[in-house]
Amino acid sequence: MDSPDLFTLRKNFTEKQIMLCFNGPISRSLIEEIGIALKNYLTAEHAQPSEAMDVFAVYIEATQNIRHYTMLRGYADADASATVVISRNESGRYVVSAGNTVEAEDGRVLMERIGALACLDKTELKRVYKEQLRKPRDPAAGSGAGLGLIDIARKATAPLAATVTNLDDGRVFFSLCAVI
Amino acid sequence: MDDLNIPASVSTPAIQSNWQAGVLAMQGDSYPENSYELFSPVFEWIQAFLAQESKPLSMELQLVYLNTSSIKFMMDIFDLLEDAHRKGASVAVNWRYDRQNERIAELAEEFREDCTFPFDIIAKN
Repeated sequence: MDSPDLFTLRKNFTEKQIMLCFNGPISRSLIEEIGIALKNYLTAEHAQPSEAMDVFAVYIEATQNIRHYTMLRGYADADASATVVISRNESGRYVVSAGNTVEAEDGRVLMERIGALACLDKTELKRVYKEQLRKPRDPAAGSGAGLGLIDIARKATAPLAATVTNLDDGRVFFSLCAVI
Repeated sequence: MDDLNIPASVSTPAIQSNWQAGVLAMQGDSYPENSYELFSPVFEWIQAFLAQESKPLSMELQLVYLNTSSIKFMMDIFDLLEDAHRKGASVAVNWRYDRQNERIAELAEEFREDCTFPFDIIAKN
């Protein structure tokens, strides 16, 4: 096996302005540790406290959604992996991207939900959020309460972007991207 | 009912209760993966207080960031206070926040929209 080409990897990170990334099985404590690093980076970059909190919030909701999903589906470690990237775009805005393997049908439902959220303005998102908050808990849906995606959409400054890529085993790789 | 004195962790707030004084206080971030473990003793303490006492109850909050599952439990707690308030109990919430971070005030404001009891959102320097 070739040794990893760190120079190209580094060049890619620099070009894409990636400040933090992770790929692999994600645990509760790892989410916390990466979260601490993210907070420190944001402080070092002098991000506005409210902007820093939005980036942190989207990171937490996205990664905890992945954790809840993999536990709900009972995935083994290899399938319980997450790919998380926090970067900046050309306009200097923070971008939080998170992806994971999901069942094809779940990917389809997610894409539909995100498409529906993308059509809503901030006032409508708040209404949908409050409605969801008032719904009784679904014991099968974990503690996510279905609020995570709506919360991410509310904190984003542009409609959420998402893609699904087919995998060989019939599942799909779902990827979500939020510009803060 | 025993008073609560729970130290903060990376993802959970510090929590103290004082039955004698009628105060329940929380400070810090709240984003545990399982919010139920964190919030159920708080919920039970408030429920017991409201059921057994006629003196006022106040919640002194300095919460910063809450994940959505913590937000849902906080809403349940405020619903409990709202219910008690409508039955004549004296309840109040004071939520102090760093004026540099308006997101906390916005979060507190969204809770306050659904409450009719005294709910103060206080900026501090």
